[in-house]
Amino acid sequence: MKFDTVIIGGGLAGLVAGISLQREGRGTAIVSTGQNALHFFSGTFESLTEAPQRMTDLFGEAGIRLHYRPGVRLMPMGTFRESALSLEDVDLFPSPEFARKVLIVNFMGYHDFFSSFLAEGLEKQGMQCRIRLINLPEMDKLEQSPSEMRSVQIARTMDRIWEKVVQEVRVLLKDEDAVLLPQVFGLQDTAVPGRIRQGIPARVVFAGTLPPSVPGIRTQMLLKRRYEVLGGTYLMGDEALNAHVHEGVVHSIVTKNLDNHYLEADHFILASGGFFSKGLRSNPFNITEPVFGLDVEYNQDRNAWYDKAFSADQPYMQYGVKTDETLHGLSDGKPFKNLYAIGSILGGTRPELGSGAGLAVRSAFAAADVILSEAKNLE
Amino acid sequence: MNPNEFDVIIIGGGITGAGTQRDCAMRGLRTLLVERSDIATGATGRNHGLLHSGARYAVNDAESARECIKENMILRRIAAHCIDETDGLFITLPEDDLGYQQTFVEACQAAGINAEIIDPELAKRLEPSVNPELIGAVKVPDGSVDPFRLCAANMLDAKLHGGQVRLYTEVTGIIREGDTVKGIHTRSRQTGEEADYYAPVIVNACGVWGQSIAEMAGVKVSMYPAKGALLIFAHRVNNVVINRCRKPSNADILVPGDTVCIIGTTSTRIPIEECYNVAVTPDEVTLLITEGAKLAPSLSSTRILRAYAGVRPLVSADNDPTGRNISRGIVCLDHEERDGLKGFVTITGGKLMTYRLMAEMATDVVCRKLGVDKPCETATTPLPGSEERSYEAVAQKIWEAPSTAQKAAASRMGTSASRIRGNNPYDDALICECEEVSVGEINSAIDRLEVSTLTDLRRRTRIGMGTCQGEFCACRAASLLAKAHGCVEKEREDLAHFLNERWKGNFPIGWGDTLREAEYTQWVYKHVLGL
Repeated sequence: MKFDTVIIGGGLAGLVAGISLQREGRGTAIVSTGQNALHFFSGTFESLTEAPQRMTDLFGEAGIRLHYRPGVRLMPMGTFRESALSLEDVDLFPSPEFARKVLIVNFMGYHDFFSSFLAEGLEKQGMQCRIRLINLPEMDKLEQSPSEMRSVQIARTMDRIWEKVVQEVRVLLKDEDAVLLPQVFGLQDTAVPGRIRQGIPARVVFAGTLPPSVPGIRTQMLLKRRYEVLGGTYLMGDEALNAHVHEGVVHSIVTKNLDNHYLEADHFILASGGFFSKGLRSNPFNITEPVFGLDVEYNQDRNAWYDKAFSADQPYMQYGVKTDETLHGLSDGKPFKNLYAIGSILGGTRPELGSGAGLAVRSAFAAADVILSEAKNLE
Repeated sequence: MNPNEFDVIIIGGGITGAGTQRDCAMRGLRTLLVERSDIATGATGRNHGLLHSGARYAVNDAESARECIKENMILRRIAAHCIDETDGLFITLPEDDLGYQQTFVEACQAAGINAEIIDPELAKRLEPSVNPELIGAVKVPDGSVDPFRLCAANMLDAKLHGGQVRLYTEVTGIIREGDTVKGIHTRSRQTGEEADYYAPVIVNACGVWGQSIAEMAGVKVSMYPAKGALLIFAHRVNNVVINRCRKPSNADILVPGDTVCIIGTTSTRIPIEECYNVAVTPDEVTLLITEGAKLAPSLSSTRILRAYAGVRPLVSADNDPTGRNISRGIVCLDHEERDGLKGFVTITGGKLMTYRLMAEMATDVVCRKLGVDKPCETATTPLPGSEERSYEAVAQKIWEAPSTAQKAAASRMGTSASRIRGNNPYDDALICECEEVSVGEINSAIDRLEVSTLTDLRRRTRIGMGTCQGEFCACRAASLLAKAHGCVEKEREDLAHFLNERWKGNFPIGWGDTLREAEYTQWVYKHVLGL
């Protein structure tokens, strides 16, 4: 199978690169193992201090409205963090004191939403809080299984019964000017968070839960749908194993599922993530990139990989593959002509691109631009 | 009666102290136990969790071997819910001397240990993970024991017999009048509050730290701390304990325990000042993996969960200034006889396996001093939770059709699991998915087992001990603790402390899947949850 570009990794970086290329008429394929960092996406694009128009456009076309309002967001454990750009249902406030009195509503038996931590955090900012639990008969089935009360399972039910939640909250609401709900709405039906806001006569704020992140999974689904509508080939549940390379040019890759076929392309983008996503691999002696064997920036002394304090910045999290200025991956110091590394596999090695979701989006645009301009030059 | 007066004060909340308090309380004494940290934080909680058959000591130390097999049989009866009756194998590999096997089996039989030579092929069927190159195998009655559970059950029984417990309470001095010990000065490490407690007898049961308590009392006990490093693997690779049939050496015991298995240990003499903060070195990790893979080859490709180390409380025998004559046996010192100091007893040395015997010996001395004539009953009276031997029978009695989570709870709590059954259906919700610990079990531990922190909760329920090392259960359980203690702010700090403590055992083995999980956990807490 031959494509213009083959992208390894179907998370935020891979999808943004894929959509950008498909929009310009390039035929691409994405090889995705199925798990990626969008599953624990916080809903804000840290390290992006302004929303590039092309990003707003790209997300908008996929049905994802971004919300640009520099300020602070409420974190799931009741702290606040600065941010500028977020998904529509993730609020950014000019200051932490977003209300006078807050009603915090959780579901009975749901332990992945931290009402008491949220209340303490809000009270520190001078807001009064009241915590109430609701119990809906439609959730009985989930409650009976000890491990079903998790964000995505609840969100599936909520797509059907969100109106009941609105009714319950309306009964509970006294003189509070804000209501805090767990972020378990709008998994499939993206209109739900907005409808809940319309139905409750107070400011409704959705606060994050333990992963999986419902807005993250929704983002992943919408971007993937958009990519496929544009004609992209998303190979779900497959994994790139190794590559055929000749004189600094990648010709094709071998994947787990397509055992007798190669994926050939003019360009390759490596967006396979950090350690957790298996973009980087480690053993007691070294850190490697398994598909192309790209050079990795890391300390040879394993004891230097870690800080002994859990909460400190961990050196290993900064490690990533080496690239040249235009994101071409390096092998033995020499750049591949048609291979680009984007997203968290870059680690902190390209600080000018930011970190996390910001790094994913910026580097994806940058790689797509290089590919498009190179192709133009050839024409 | 002054509420600060007791018949006996026990210093040290390890298994020896908890066992001694239980024995004293069962003999009708008014007891107080003080511990500077939580239960089982010293050597008690930092070993293999091996229910020794005694076979390991049979050749070189017949007395220890006899003590072990006797206590082994007693613990199966009185502490059934803390014990997994796995059996054990002593395997001979091609590089070992098969001739040793005969010496070994004879020594075992002489000590009363049922050691049976079996065909290596049978050994492979009994334990499929064993090194298939083995040339000899002996089956012995080893098992595994959860030391945290055992310690908590002893403390709970002491409390049920009227005993009092002060955790996180440090002894700052011993009150002496002339040649008689009268009591202790203490300070709470949580509130800073100071208090004095009085009793005619004080038992020093502090393991290696017993040296400094003895110093406070003005007598000398010389400890020779020996560090042992261990690794926990993320799967229960073996179901039968695997030992090497040779002279005891490094990393030659692999013990299955709950959902994991543990390889150890090393032995390095360390200065007493280092005992509070022992760390595992990269060389020790390499040695443990290499030697461990000889027992069960699949260990070399199994994810390592944690590295940790403990300190054995070895004692230098009296009148041996060189320290060469170090005893691994039980040392019970009546300081009145030894040093002319009345009312002070030290119980140390020994092993997790022989804690009950140590407690009996110490309690006998206490009773003699107090003129109490009541026999010891700890060898026949089951600990709370162990009234039934089979946890499956227990689960069946409580729940008609127990789920795997309910069976797991019964295996941890024994008959006490009946306490978690259904005041409301929400009690079944799982907080820790790796170890299947429910809301009900956590609340029951908070109610009955003196829980201040998440780490305390971990020792009593196993939350955070499984594959994910507390990734998700830590913040769920923190919510429950915050509710129980009514303080969110303190719980925030506690959660940070818990995660730091888990990380301490992860980074020495931070590569491969361990690093993947760590990256995920650090990302979630820092960037997603905003702790």
